[in-house]
Amino acid sequence: MSDKRPAGPDRLPLKPGMLLKGKWNGNVYRLERPLGAGSNGQVWLASRGGAPCALKLGLDAADLQGETNVLASLERGDRNRPSFLLDADDARLGGRDVPFYAMRYVPGMPVRKFVGRYGPGAVATAGGHLLDRLVELHEAGWVFGDLKCDNVLVAPGGQVTLVDYGGATRIGRSVRQFTEIYDRGYWRAGNRTADPAYDWFSAAVLWIHALDGERLMRLTRSLPPQHRHPRELMRLVRTHPHLKAMEIWMRMALEGRFGSTREASRRWKECAAGLGGGVPDGIPAWMAGMVAVTLALAAVAAALWFAR
Amino acid sequence: MNQILLITDGHSNVGESPVLAASRALAQDIIVNVIGVVDEGEAGRIGAEEIESIARAGGGMSRIVEPHMLTQTVQMMTQQTVVGTIRMTVNKELRSLLGVESVAELPPPKRAEVVRMMEELSETTRLRVALLIDASASMRPKLAAVEEAIRDLALSLQSRQGESAVAVFHFPGEDPHVPCVLDLPWTDRVDGLGKLFRNIRMQGTTPTGPALQRVVEYFRETCGNIKGKTEYSLPPLRRDEPDVMESGDVG
Repeated sequence: MSDKRPAGPDRLPLKPGMLLKGKWNGNVYRLERPLGAGSNGQVWLASRGGAPCALKLGLDAADLQGETNVLASLERGDRNRPSFLLDADDARLGGRDVPFYAMRYVPGMPVRKFVGRYGPGAVATAGGHLLDRLVELHEAGWVFGDLKCDNVLVAPGGQVTLVDYGGATRIGRSVRQFTEIYDRGYWRAGNRTADPAYDWFSAAVLWIHALDGERLMRLTRSLPPQHRHPRELMRLVRTHPHLKAMEIWMRMALEGRFGSTREASRRWKECAAGLGGGVPDGIPAWMAGMVAVTLALAAVAAALWFAR
Repeated sequence: MNQILLITDGHSNVGESPVLAASRALAQDIIVNVIGVVDEGEAGRIGAEEIESIARAGGGMSRIVEPHMLTQTVQMMTQQTVVGTIRMTVNKELRSLLGVESVAELPPPKRAEVVRMMEELSETTRLRVALLIDASASMRPKLAAVEEAIRDLALSLQSRQGESAVAVFHFPGEDPHVPCVLDLPWTDRVDGLGKLFRNIRMQGTTPTGPALQRVVEYFRETCGNIKGKTEYSLPPLRRDEPDVMESGDVG
């Protein structure tokens, strides 16, 4: 199999303003700006007839079709939700057919940026929403697989969208794509057969990475392979000012001890009440700060008024 | 599906050419992948050309990596070889049945169906991977990384639905007549995978070719006559399905 592997996705000659026309379905998309690049393609913000959407373009038709299949089968499960997958087609580009699919565009930022901007308290809400997404996926028979900070977009209100379904795997099969530090096999905490607990484990590592990334990276660099074990992760959790509040949830997630993903979600919401000292749902830390400043200014103004 | 993964850091210097041995393996439907391991910052010091030619002759791929990348590289190569082999088989089938060059030429609904089938085959096809490890003096400091990579691969194989097994050999043997030594016969469990390369004593040669040849024989002894047995076959794809061709309606 001296097979030519697909060239890297960065080789796609894409530019803002470019028009792409689908070969089979005939829809025309205008590329606006790149949103990110994954292992097997690029994601762009695009518009179709003035309406925004996200386009994922790849070089390998079979790879991309695998992702489209997951998205399509998720839709079949629930007709009440607005459609996520909008189109799947090929576009002629520089003399070749480039496969792509169009998704609903959901604004948001990767988890670590979200935590940086809104503070650790905001994790309480986002973590709950993440588990709700996993409940939907697991109940439809899929495991996300490659759950990590970059694949989870969070809107300012804490709503979560999962992106890049390249690792999504039918329950019972072997996980198709994973990232070492999020993988329970890497931590010697189980195999790589897709089950809901596989995603719980990654979700726990994701929040450790988001809140305590530096120590996590230092740990993975210094720990010899034979000493990798969930208890090393728990050591980080117990000694972190915010993660500490989630200790029970973290241990259950790392050891795969929830009865179901619904239970994981319920337990998260119970534990997360102790996270970050009462930043209420939807009000980010900086905004709470602004409110305080505004009140202080108002008080000063009032004082000045009365002093006249 | 059968694969040999050769992990080495140097040139072969005794016995038949490893390139020839690899092409013999391929002739028996065993794909040969090769990883060259180098110390950090010493990428130039390895026989890149030999590594490439062995892989090319064996129908596989080659990479040169530092020890910390071994685990990922072993995973990637094994998986891509499975996926690539299935794709080649399916594309061949598509060519003869539908006259298209690859799955990319099919209309999206048909493509969805074929890709689902390819994934099914990749997951369920029987898979055997024999690892052949160069354990010469210069490789010694890298053997811990090699063991970890083997453990990790075995874990992934164990997680598949299809029947899977790994076997491990190292070379050279202690005796000039023994090109390589079997450390671990076919297994599908990682639990018992302890320290693999314990008391390795050997002479100073690198008989890569004869060692490869020996592993091919091992496949034959343990798996019977593997040539010609089709372990993955396609469900029938009919020429006259109405949604196959974009403008197929003539009547």
